[in-house]
Amino acid sequence: MNNMTFDSIWEQEEQQGLQQRLRQDYPAWLRRRRQRRTALATVAVLVVAGFSIFNFQPSTSKDYDYVACNRSGIAESHWAKVASNILTIETL
Amino acid sequence: MLLPLAFLSCSREVEEVPLYRQYAARQDLTVAQVKGFQLCDTVKTDVVILVADDSAAWCRLKEEFDIRTSEGVTSWMGNIEQPAQRVKRSVRPAWRAMAVHADRTVAFYRIDTEEQRQALLDYQMKAIENEQ
Repeated sequence: MNNMTFDSIWEQEEQQGLQQRLRQDYPAWLRRRRQRRTALATVAVLVVAGFSIFNFQPSTSKDYDYVACNRSGIAESHWAKVASNILTIETL
Repeated sequence: MLLPLAFLSCSREVEEVPLYRQYAARQDLTVAQVKGFQLCDTVKTDVVILVADDSAAWCRLKEEFDIRTSEGVTSWMGNIEQPAQRVKRSVRPAWRAMAVHADRTVAFYRIDTEEQRQALLDYQMKAIENEQ
């Protein structure tokens, strides 16, 4: 066997060995990819759900965005009512 | 990756208007700010409400805002930075101020646009219609 023949066989064996290894590893790689995608999808669902819950505003008759007050213990809706009532009072 | 950033950017921040900040520290007043008070389906405005805790505080408030009447409702258009200062109805932005003597309360409705001014009037007109 001369050098040329040896190199050719070596290269061929190397390629075949590589292909075989890929064939063996492919199912494992597919499984890992599936797991990774499932994990990402789960995280995305959790983030969207969390976002929805924290930003949930009931679509009832809330007629203001938010209220700030320098005293605690007074309901936000009270101030919206005051703002509304004063407009009403003047017209009477 | 972007979802958490979107979540953070959408978190509600309490943005206080200067008028609210100016009076919030006062011990003799209960001060509230209603952000985005809905005047109609499409128009909102900011409202700042000052309530005097007692008659002495109300006297001080009346003096500060140059309110000379003693009953009913006193209203005026106020300068956006100095609400006690009266301005013409056409000035924008401005505060539409209403002082209710019986409740020792002054409410300021921010008017930035003609649309808001009209919506405020419509709100009052609707109240009349509902009363009838």
